[in-house]
This record gives sequence, structure tokens and C-alpha cells, in this order.
Amino acid sequence: MTQASTVKDVAALARLTISEHDIENVTAEFNQTLALFDALQSVDTNGLAPMVNPCTANQPLRTDSVATLVGREELMKNAPSKAENYFLVPRVID
Amino acid sequence: MPPAFKSIATLSQELKNGEVSSRQLVEQAVARIDTLNPELNAVVCLEADQALANADQADAKRAKGEHSPLLGIPMLHKDIFCTQGMRTTCGSKMLADFVPPYDATVVQKLKDAGMINLGKCNMDEFAMGSSNETSVFGACKNPWDVTRVPGGSSGGSAVAVASGMVPFATGTDTGGSIRQPAALCGITGLKPTYGRVSRYGMIAFASSMDQAGPMAHSAQDCALVLNAMAGHDPLDSTCDNTPVPNYHQTLDHPITGLRIGVPKEFFSSHLNTEVATAIDTAVRELERAGATVKEVSLPSTDLAVSTYYVIAPAEASANLSRYDGVRYGYRCEAPSDLQDLYFRSRTEGFGAEVKRRILVGTFTLSAASYDQYFMKAQQVRRLITQEYDSVLNEVDVIAGPAAPNTAFALNDTSKSITDMYMEDVFTIGANLAGLPAISLPAGLVNGLPVGLQLIGQRFGEAQLLNVAHQFQSRTDWHTRRPTLEAVR
Repeated sequence: MTQASTVKDVAALARLTISEHDIENVTAEFNQTLALFDALQSVDTNGLAPMVNPCTANQPLRTDSVATLVGREELMKNAPSKAENYFLVPRVID
Repeated sequence: MPPAFKSIATLSQELKNGEVSSRQLVEQAVARIDTLNPELNAVVCLEADQALANADQADAKRAKGEHSPLLGIPMLHKDIFCTQGMRTTCGSKMLADFVPPYDATVVQKLKDAGMINLGKCNMDEFAMGSSNETSVFGACKNPWDVTRVPGGSSGGSAVAVASGMVPFATGTDTGGSIRQPAALCGITGLKPTYGRVSRYGMIAFASSMDQAGPMAHSAQDCALVLNAMAGHDPLDSTCDNTPVPNYHQTLDHPITGLRIGVPKEFFSSHLNTEVATAIDTAVRELERAGATVKEVSLPSTDLAVSTYYVIAPAEASANLSRYDGVRYGYRCEAPSDLQDLYFRSRTEGFGAEVKRRILVGTFTLSAASYDQYFMKAQQVRRLITQEYDSVLNEVDVIAGPAAPNTAFALNDTSKSITDMYMEDVFTIGANLAGLPAISLPAGLVNGLPVGLQLIGQRFGEAQLLNVAHQFQSRTDWHTRRPTLEAVR
């Protein structure tokens, strides 16, 4: 059973905050989901290579050449805060 | 049949004969969306003026003698595909104001084929859900019964087609998100082989399983659109370059001698008995068409849900780490420092189900849990894939239900999170193994549609569409339409 403190630590790794109001419920749901995974532990997987994706061998890579797909100005249009082609964030150096 | 419910094949012929113009089709579609959408909530972005201008261009091309099957046909995109200059939200507050600077390859290909995009369809947030209830725009409703869910995550696309707004919409399927809503709304939806259709510009959920596909009334219409959607794309390194056949050309092949396998595990306690009867009747119809049917076994069917719900959230937690409030997407008000910006932007921007999955994915990828959960699930994924491959050595097509139940009630609080995950029990296997699979209308239970699922060999889309078309040539389930009495 995963404790609320662990769930909070995991949330911090994911840059998410769980309020004191929600933590009990979130922890219960988290444990409910982990319980679903218990079935995997009893499966004999000896000798089975992990399957990362279902790709076949027919994915030719393109030439690694420099190209501009979308211009800088276009890409910057969605920035929540910007100045002179830079993304603005709160000060990180005092 | 009212114009709103006509197939792409019929509309294409009418356009060719000059009986109707693309402008008229777009005007009809816009009028129908205006009438139905306030209740159904299937469309979250409508760009009528742009669509009409594009329809005029399509009409001009036809006037000059150009006649391609999709030219001038109205459609909608799931709001997961980047559309240049058209807001793309993925059903999330996180991307509420995101206007992509480029088109997804699928969007570009359908544009090149002459289709007229009217806008974007509702969906579960970041495609995480089986009911379309996790969308920031609110739930989308099933046109067969507006107190019920349409399925998800491509719920808006399924409803848009099922209610006759457009004859075709795009969908994506990571664990059943095309097939389950297609089943619950009584339309035909195909998830192609992993790598058959480009994922470029399709907002990522679980990259090793995400795949785009067509949602339409019939297998014939899906074939027409897949011809334009499929094919290698240098912008997606997982996109396969196996030649694309003409899917429409083989629809009429007889299925005499086709070997169908029915997994006994699909007829388990998870399956509603009336749905089971409808599926059995549908399989017998294929038998009458000349196929041979035998029972097969996929012993790890139940493990697929556990495996998927380790792998998909793990991949999602990595994919969604890009939403940090810095470069695009939601940013919180007045962040005090950079950490505050990250934490509050993500906490306020993501909905509950997305955060639930990010948490689980972050946990299973953490050093202490990686081997126990993520590595183990990847090994079981191999086992499940081997089982599918082994069965598909014995038979040509696997047949069974697409979903364990018909459409369930909106806001069903009796359903736990894991109950909801079990809705995907029959669809997830094809995603884990990367196989193509289709859901097609195969009956009504208490007035609600049932979907027959067919799973095929890798790159066997032509065969799946052929079998589905043969079924639809002998039955009329795909021509049944909701009355929409509660909506008008």
C-alpha cells in the first residue's frame, strides 16, 4: 500500500501539487490503480525481451539534414510570455 | 436517405454528376451542426467561412474536370490533430489557446485529397478516457440516447458522424479510442497497423501505441479515406514504408474460405450477454458468407488491461512533461519563481484523469519501481503480442466484441476508475501488438448499437475492410440511424 507521503513525492517529481483536501482521495485512487497491476507479477516472463514498440523493420530514416519546418516567429506566437524572440520566465538568478 | 446521412461514395457520385455542389454540402453540414451541437456537444471549433471558401475552390476544380473521390467532401478532425491557424486543444485547458503553426501530416494529406475540414471534434482530455467525459468542453452525448456516453476518447468524432453532421471524421486510437466510440455510436471505425499512418502533428499520448484512423458510416467510406491517410512520412520515424494498396479495390472480393478465429476469452464474464448474442449472430453471418469459424485462445486477454495501464501512463508522463508553461500552453497567473510556474501551470492546466495517469506513469518509471512495473509490463506486452501472432498464424482474422457493453450512462458514479479501464479490455490487445482492427455496427441491444471487432494481420487493413464490406453488403446495421428526437 503506497502512503500519501509517497504519492506527494511522486507528484513533486511530475511537477504537480496535490492539495491536503485531495490527498486522501488521490492516494486511494492511486492504490486502486496499482492493485490492477498485481496480476502482472505472477506472470512468468523469463526469457521474454521487453517490447518497446511494435515497429517492423521498414522505417527508413530520412537524411539528417538541417531544415526549417516552421519559422521562429511562427513558433513564438504561442508563447505565454516573450520578449525579443526569447521566452520570458521568472528570474532564476538573483 | 436524408443528405446528412449519405455516404462519401454517394456524395462523391452526386458531386461528380453535378447534382450537388461542395458549397451546398458544407452549408448543410454547418446548418446541421448549428441545430444538433448545442445538445450533443460533438464539435468544439467550427470554421464555417474558411470551409465555404475551400468548398468553392473544390467546386471550381470539379468544374475544370477534376474528379477525385474525396474532392469537396466535408469532414471534421478530432481536436488532437494540429491544424495550422485553427485552435487545437486536445480537450484540455492546458492547450485552450494553442494555435498550431503547422498541419499534422494527416490533416495535410486529407487537404491534398480535397476534403473540406469544418473544424474540430470533442474528445477526452489528451485522449485519456473511454466516455468523452474528461474533456474541458464537457461531456459529448450519444445521439442514440442523450443520457448516455458516446465512448471515447474520439467521442466527438463518432457523434459527428453518427448524427449526420459530416460523413467522415478522423479519430485516434491508443487503447480503443476509435473502435469503442464507433461501437457505442453505431458507425465504422478503423485503427490501422502501428506505423501505417503518420503521427506527425498528432498530439502524443502513448507514442508506442497512438495511431490515427478513419471513422465513417461504412467500411467502403473508411477505405476511400484510408487511401489518402496512409503512407510513409519522413517526419515520423516510426511511420512504415510498406506500400499502400488501393483499399477500395479489394472490397468486393468474396470471403469464401476466410478463416475467422473467435477467442474464447472474449466471451468472458466481462461481456454483456445480449452483446455476446449480437456478436455471435454477426459471426454466423460471416460464416454464411463463406468464412470458416473456429474457437481460438488468447490466454492473456485480461492481462492486457494491466499491461496497458502501466505502459500508456508511463509514456504519457514522459510526453506530457513538455507542458511546462514556458513555450506554449497554459501558464499560471503571476508565478513567484520558476518552480512555482511549473507546478501551478501543470496543476491548474491538467484535468483530474490526466493528472492521475501522470502520477501513475511517473511512479512506474521511477528507479525503485521500473523493473517491477514498467519492465515487467513490457515483457508481458511481448507475451501478448506472441499470442496474437500465434493465433494469426492459424486464422486470417480474429472476431469478437469491440466493447463489453453498450453505451453506459453519463456521470455514472457507480463506475470506479478501474471499471472504466475495463471498458477497453477487448480493444487494448491490438494496440499493444500494433495490429490493425476495425469496429463495425452489428446489432442493437435495447435500441443501442453493438460493435463487431475484427483484428487482422499487420498491414492487413485491406483484408479487414474487405471482410467488413462483405458483412455490410449482407446486413443493414451500418445504415441504421438514431432518430435524434430528443435533440431537435
